[in-house]
Amino acid sequence: MSILTAAQAVLPMSDGAPAENVEPITATITAAQAGGAFPLMWLLFALPAVGAAVLLIVGRRSDRWGYLLACALPIGSFILACILLAQMMALPEADRQVTLELWNWTFAGSFDAAFALRLDPLSISFVMLITGVGSLIHIYSIGYMAEDPKRRLFFAYLNLFVAAMLLLVLADNYLLVYVGWEGVGLASYLLVGFWQYKDSAAVAAKKAFVMNRVGDVGLSLAIMLMFLTFGTVTFSDVFEAAPEASETTLTIIGLLLLLAAVGKSAQFPLQAWLLDAMEGPTPVSALIHAATMVTAGVYLVVRSNAIFDLSTTAISVVLAIGVITMTMGAWIACAQDEIKKSLAGSTMSQIGYMFLGAGLGPAGYVFAIFHLLMHGMFKADLFLSAGSVMHGNDDQKNMRLYGGLRVAMKVTMVAFFCGFLGISGLPPFDSWFSKDGIIDAALGVNVFAGLVALGVAGMTAFYMTRMLAMTFFGSPRWAEDQHPHESPPVMTVPMLILSIGALFGGLFFVYVAPIGEWLAPVTGYEESTPVIPEIPLKLTSLAIAIIGIALGWRKYATKDVPRVAPTNVTILTTAGRHELYGNAFNESLFMRPGQYLTRWLVWFDNRSLDGLVRGIATGIGDLGGKLRLWETGYARSYALSMLGGALLLGVVVATARWF
Amino acid sequence: MDPSAYIILSAILFTIGAIGVLLRRNAIVVFMSVEMMLNAANLAFVTFARMHGNLEGQVIAFFVMIVAAAEVVVGLAIIMTIFRTRRSVSIDDPSLMRN
Amino acid sequence: MTPSAPVAFPDIQWLQLAPIIVVLGAAAIEVLVEAFAPRTSRRSIQIGLTFAALIVAFAIIVINAGTFQLVVAGSAAVDGPALFLQGAVVLTALLVALLMMERKVDPSGDAFAARASAMPGSEDERQFTARGYLQTEIWPLFLFCTGGMMLFLSANDLLLMFIGLEIMSLPLYLLAGMARRRRLLSQEAAMKYFLLGAFSSAFFLYGAALIYGFAGTVSFGGIADAVVGQSQMSGLLLGGIVLLCVGMFFKVAAVPFHEWAPDVYQGSPTPVTAYMAAGVKVAAFGAFLRLMYVAFGGEAWEWRPAFWVVAILTFFVGAMIGLAQSDIKRMLAYSSIAHAGFLLLGVMAVTPDSLSASMFYLLTYAIATVGAFGIVMLIRDDSGETTSLDAWRGLGRTHPLLATAFTIFLLSFAGIPLTAGFIGKFTLFASSAAAGEGWLVLLAVIASAIAAFFYLRVVVIMFFSDPVGSGPSVATPSWATQTTIVVALIVTVVLGLFPQAVLNIADHADVFVR
Repeated sequence: MSILTAAQAVLPMSDGAPAENVEPITATITAAQAGGAFPLMWLLFALPAVGAAVLLIVGRRSDRWGYLLACALPIGSFILACILLAQMMALPEADRQVTLELWNWTFAGSFDAAFALRLDPLSISFVMLITGVGSLIHIYSIGYMAEDPKRRLFFAYLNLFVAAMLLLVLADNYLLVYVGWEGVGLASYLLVGFWQYKDSAAVAAKKAFVMNRVGDVGLSLAIMLMFLTFGTVTFSDVFEAAPEASETTLTIIGLLLLLAAVGKSAQFPLQAWLLDAMEGPTPVSALIHAATMVTAGVYLVVRSNAIFDLSTTAISVVLAIGVITMTMGAWIACAQDEIKKSLAGSTMSQIGYMFLGAGLGPAGYVFAIFHLLMHGMFKADLFLSAGSVMHGNDDQKNMRLYGGLRVAMKVTMVAFFCGFLGISGLPPFDSWFSKDGIIDAALGVNVFAGLVALGVAGMTAFYMTRMLAMTFFGSPRWAEDQHPHESPPVMTVPMLILSIGALFGGLFFVYVAPIGEWLAPVTGYEESTPVIPEIPLKLTSLAIAIIGIALGWRKYATKDVPRVAPTNVTILTTAGRHELYGNAFNESLFMRPGQYLTRWLVWFDNRSLDGLVRGIATGIGDLGGKLRLWETGYARSYALSMLGGALLLGVVVATARWF
Repeated sequence: MDPSAYIILSAILFTIGAIGVLLRRNAIVVFMSVEMMLNAANLAFVTFARMHGNLEGQVIAFFVMIVAAAEVVVGLAIIMTIFRTRRSVSIDDPSLMRN
Repeated sequence: MTPSAPVAFPDIQWLQLAPIIVVLGAAAIEVLVEAFAPRTSRRSIQIGLTFAALIVAFAIIVINAGTFQLVVAGSAAVDGPALFLQGAVVLTALLVALLMMERKVDPSGDAFAARASAMPGSEDERQFTARGYLQTEIWPLFLFCTGGMMLFLSANDLLLMFIGLEIMSLPLYLLAGMARRRRLLSQEAAMKYFLLGAFSSAFFLYGAALIYGFAGTVSFGGIADAVVGQSQMSGLLLGGIVLLCVGMFFKVAAVPFHEWAPDVYQGSPTPVTAYMAAGVKVAAFGAFLRLMYVAFGGEAWEWRPAFWVVAILTFFVGAMIGLAQSDIKRMLAYSSIAHAGFLLLGVMAVTPDSLSASMFYLLTYAIATVGAFGIVMLIRDDSGETTSLDAWRGLGRTHPLLATAFTIFLLSFAGIPLTAGFIGKFTLFASSAAAGEGWLVLLAVIASAIAAFFYLRVVVIMFFSDPVGSGPSVATPSWATQTTIVVALIVTVVLGLFPQAVLNIADHADVFVR
């Protein structure tokens, strides 16, 4: 008992959740009523959008100053976001859901899809994350892309991304979400394929695009179904009307939304694109494929809480997907040798945690978002540090060829270490609060999921230690002509700022500004009691993290790491190196028919970007290619086809009469 | 009068015309087959007019003849230019565009 | 002298008919101009007359707004849908006429052959071209075609519909064969279009005969009455409907009656292709809607299965083959086929909402189509227009504004939000779903997702491919083509952002007079 008492005294125990159950508030007020800076909230996304437009339209003439403009605008958005946040905190809790109708996009009588924005505690949290981390990454990119001849274009796309992402989280209806959703997909495609001269980058961009489209179809169908069911796609109206719809309808809508979320957030079974997307420049990986875009799926699920709360099936699937991906991602992260791919596996895994949290319903929504915000900071920090390592090592990505970099890259190591502390679940850093919040809630709702989440926490600590040790500790393994050097301050300063977030974000959001109370009016909150009492649970989770770290340290820091990946490894490692065969799966499903189809698509002449279609076309294009042969060029065969059509019509009409 | 015989005849004419379009290669003959189909329709119009005891069908038949004449003008012009270019009126020859 | 009984003159509603009369009358005058005006001034007279006629016709259509009556003894209807779609046709015609008068993109003249009668490659042709002859017969043909379209979509009996169909089609057959470049393809297009068009007209006519046999009348109102009072002769009725539909399906290019479209689109002079893709689609769907709503609406459950099959075939086949095309004009042809499939949803729904949604869709589609073809005209090589997609590589880098404009048209075709195409698709699908065709809408959504790929592919080719050689060669057009592109662009964007005004007009015009 004394251990427990001691633990209680030493370990931070709170998790930032509200003290009691909270029902979501659906009422909104207009920006004009709220006053202050609220009517200006459109500037949040308009500023970066203007940046993208200016850089793209003005073209080469803006090469010299364009990147500065591109950095200034997201910073402007960030400042505005801070003002709005302060103002929102001053408002009473019930008045914090502010909408702003920019123009009335209603049409077709009953259909309302006004171009309206909505700022509430949930979206302002995202806005802060996107503009804050986004601005830092813009600044970092000045250094990272300094020698790239297309730097202006890079910044234009980056601004485009920020604008689209802000639109996505600010939208007041699903249709506008869709616009933002497509926008971030486009920006991601452009940025992943930014170094198109690398075949791998072009292929990766294509793959990301294709798999995202699969999800996007889900979103568009969900919107259509929502319109048919509720006659509206505005958030508050849909949520108010949701209880009246049948559970089957809600389940279908929920699953379609989930399909979209799964595609965007690289969750099972649409996870395979994320690792390939690491071909993009590292700031892109940090911003889009770690901190913001890939978490849009979590946002969508949490935002649609009113729908998921009413369908036990849909929410159970969210939970299942979270559990599966969480494990898969950690597994992959343990086995990959490329630093960015290992981090990408970790991202999958952490987003799996968020899905798990969201899949718990009201008990877990706030923790899902809490973890999302924390993840945005520590993962961006880790990625930027990884980028800095690559920058200082001639773009070497293989961790087996690093080793002992702590001497040459002190600042980077500090930043990476802070990120490490943030993610690995040690008190009192970020994950200690946010991840354990999810585990606590899971143990109260679904014991199995909770136990898996506990186990994966150990894996998390293990792979992070592996990364840390292989990169910065042990003996140097780099090539003779490789001269590791520290990155310029324009890169390290953003890293260090993010490090502060990675270290103290959790403390801040629990003790200074309790995130749970902040979000609960939007997402709702329901207390859940874990099956294990709190203090033993905290101790267990701490012990698991320490065991993971110890194992990783023993294996990768105290022993020599071979420069070539050993081949006599367990089948588990092999599977992890092959990304759990996700690609083989996709290949047999998508690529093979695609190769078969090229016989007809001779005109394609293997140019990478046309291949965009090749990936998608697959079965469809196969059929299309065959159908084209129908057009023989002979007028008489066209006439035959018409006569056949006439007979077909006759037969159909006659048959229909028969029934 | 039993109109069904006329209707059947017109259907047969229509079918012969349609088959002619499919089977003949000579553009002129194909065109004549189309004219035959139009005239089959005319026969049907006239028969039905008689059956229903009103004049509409007969008037339509006149209009159709005029339209057919206009069609001949246009059609022959097109076939002529093709013939001058290719020295052939086979409708299988112009098949540069396909797929 | 016995006083003779006063002769009852038929009452002709001149004002209501004026738009059609103006256009066809101007066409007739233009024929005279061809005969009597000196060569040097002919072209300017023809162009002046054409624009004057179209503008006057449009003005009268606007004045007539709100008319709801049958004219010329019930043969034609002047009602909301007729006026709306006539307006759309005339607007399209104005934009196309601007493309037709473009002389700057081709160094030797406009898009039409100097003398269509001259043998391709002959000395004659070379001479005519060298002397800078321009064929001015295209203008009366164009106006006849326009008048035919207007007549076609306001015809209220089968005879007038047939005549409208032919007045619309015959000039188009000729225009298809008049391309300045690639004469062989153009002639082939003309022949294929003509023979198959005549073939389909024969089906239409025979169908009309069967309907006449069933109803004893060819007026839509009379047919509708006969349909409601169903008799044992409905074999004739269904046969008639099927054959009429064959003719209409051909004109709108629905699968499997579509095969002429890619070939003809590819071979025809591009302004004519634009008119086929835009104007004919509007007119044919206008007529088709009237036919199925007014005459056969009472029998919808009988013919609807046939439409299911054709619509599904049309949007899927159009989208799929479109994916595999390497020629921009053929690709746009398949795009227009896929759009025909979506529009068939509106035809088969038989509700006022579907009617207004279809009309809005037609308007947006037609305008964007003309704009897109206007841009197609500008991409050229030494031998004239080059329609291979390879020629578009890197257009976004060399001509960003042009590529952006084309992208907007493509996005509108694809139905991406904030473009007019999205509103059109959304209202059409929503009305169709409300009419109880939910599962069909689902399939249509999937098909439009497939179709979106081939539009996006062009966007990708323009913006992210490296240019071949020195990049695409783009002709600088005169103000005429520029106007067309800009107007089409503005309409596409504005109707995407603020559609309500036009949707209201369409909503107020959602009933056919009977």
